Amino acid sequence: MRRALPLLVRERSAAHRSLQATGIVVLALLAVYASTLNSFRLGQLTVALLYATAIAGLNLATGYTGQLSIGHSAFFGLGAYTTGILVASHNWNPLLTLIPAAVLCFATGLLVGLPSLRIRGINLALVTLALGVAFPELVDRFPSLTGGSIGLNVSVYQLLPPHWTGISIANRFQYYYWLAAGLLAIVLVLCATLTRSRAGLAMKATRDREIAAAAMGVNLAWTKMVVFGLSGAITGAGGSIFAIYLGSLSADASFTLTLSITLITGLVIGGVATTLGPVIGGLAVYFVPYWTENIRQGEASQLIFGVVLIVLMFVMPEGLMGLITRLSRRVLRIQPQPPGRPARRTVNGGPSTVINHQQERNTA
Amino acid sequence: MEFFLDRLFDGISNGAIYAALALALVMVYRATGTINFAQGEMALFTTYLAWGLATKNVPVAVCLLVAAVAGFALGAVSERVLVRPIEKRSLLATLIVLLGLFSVLNASDGLIWGKGNQSMPSLFPNTLQSYVKVFGARLYWANIGVWLLVAAVVAVMFALFNKTRLGLQMRATANNRESAALAGIPVGRILMLGWGISAAIGAIAGVLVTPLTPDSLGLGEMFPLLIYASAAALFGGLDSPGGAVLAGLLLGVAEVMLSAYVPAIGGQLQEAIAFVAIVAVLLLRPQGLFGTREVERV
Repeated sequence: MRRALPLLVRERSAAHRSLQATGIVVLALLAVYASTLNSFRLGQLTVALLYATAIAGLNLATGYTGQLSIGHSAFFGLGAYTTGILVASHNWNPLLTLIPAAVLCFATGLLVGLPSLRIRGINLALVTLALGVAFPELVDRFPSLTGGSIGLNVSVYQLLPPHWTGISIANRFQYYYWLAAGLLAIVLVLCATLTRSRAGLAMKATRDREIAAAAMGVNLAWTKMVVFGLSGAITGAGGSIFAIYLGSLSADASFTLTLSITLITGLVIGGVATTLGPVIGGLAVYFVPYWTENIRQGEASQLIFGVVLIVLMFVMPEGLMGLITRLSRRVLRIQPQPPGRPARRTVNGGPSTVINHQQERNTA
Repeated sequence: MEFFLDRLFDGISNGAIYAALALALVMVYRATGTINFAQGEMALFTTYLAWGLATKNVPVAVCLLVAAVAGFALGAVSERVLVRPIEKRSLLATLIVLLGLFSVLNASDGLIWGKGNQSMPSLFPNTLQSYVKVFGARLYWANIGVWLLVAAVVAVMFALFNKTRLGLQMRATANNRESAALAGIPVGRILMLGWGISAAIGAIAGVLVTPLTPDSLGLGEMFPLLIYASAAALFGGLDSPGGAVLAGLLLGVAEVMLSAYVPAIGGQLQEAIAFVAIVAVLLLRPQGLFGTREVERV
């Protein structure tokens, strides 16, 4: 006798594909619904989605490759300042600045990853700490370029939606929202593809057992460096759109270590080494402080986040996304396709003795 | 000469504090193999506690004692309750829990004692007139007091490590936890003790450093100190107490001299420069100046 639940679906079968398609359509509909909110909410959502993008970048280095970065605030800031400076001082098209921002952050990430040839574990975390500490100081040190501690302001007129979008000036927050949502979607697809690929296996092997990974032929230094570069580039791209949305930048206000800790918190809340965890995390770290702001001037949200961080690591290290996955497994299980066999069509239910888990188990 | 000596005295005072905090970090590293991100916040919490007592006219020496005892308890409990259950899982998990503790302590300080900056009374005579002249430069009693107390702490620690049975057990535990346990050392208690002593040293450093600058007791006070201390600990070698103390002193003096004589990078870029130098050192000697090389058994 087979029980009715959980439903078993073969990976890559028609049923699985249609489920995935449904999921994507639901997410897209949610995104469209959200775009009809008022400007204030849209602005908030924009920032939350950009945090999610930054967390997705952090997830590559910290979640999948096991390199704790306390310096991702610097990548976010570097991306933002690249865009800000190119638009304000050199009159670039804001959207085009995404490319130099990402490239610059990629290069910086490689540089930070470079010591990983010799420095490991805790020491590497401290190198990223150095980056996070140095960034606001560097911004203040070169005021002619960055506006220093006064800040950098980009004229609103340079950041308006371009004509082809058909979005009026009054609705410009819709434009920023769609920029953030679009970037996040691209980043999530990119991360999902990368982490399920051969390179993704190398990353996870590096995280879980470095020496064994090296023995299996994984180039540790190269993996860590490139992942750190990519991670920085993604977070930097988020920062770039952040600059387009905000228009005025101040390193001491926006890009300090507090942001790094916020991003790590978001990663843990959403789910380390999960695909959609960063989205939940980004929304949580933006909206929870906003809702608790009235309780004792923000101290409350910091306290809540600290407690949540500790409690989650103890009782739910896989985060909210992990919890959702675990619960949904009671209703629906995806059976992995056995290697070497072609996908059978319309398989809905198989031998219930096969115990399956979602492929993405996180062990961090 | 006066200018130089003034700076030197300041530098040594700062360096003594960095040295004490770096020593605390090294103790935790030797016990658990991690950097205690919450070290600075533990010290801040106990410093607030001492300040709170001092405002109720408790003598500062008693406040210092209470802070040290409270620090010991905080460190020991953190190790037992938060760190030990999680450290088996991964370094990443441990670091994240410590970041959480960082947030909790900092937020609690704000909730209990408010956000405004406070001035902490000093253990030593601390008026503008209480100094001795050394070659024309002013050497304040407060500075001398900090030097002596930190020197005493360091001396006690070295005696503890090298001359007592307990120190031998601590070194054995740091060296190889399993072998130590097999030799009958109560490893769990030793770990708690290591964290406790570490936090107590931090607490003393906090009570010492805060009176040096008026209005310096605030929520953001300890984090920059922690950064310097971790830089010093890295520089000296994360598992070397002597290296940490020496590097802390060097860093303190170098920092003050840089901002006095090389204004282009001093003042604003101090922390960045400190770290760039240390990353450079690490690239050449990943174990720091006096640290032992890590060898991994497969």
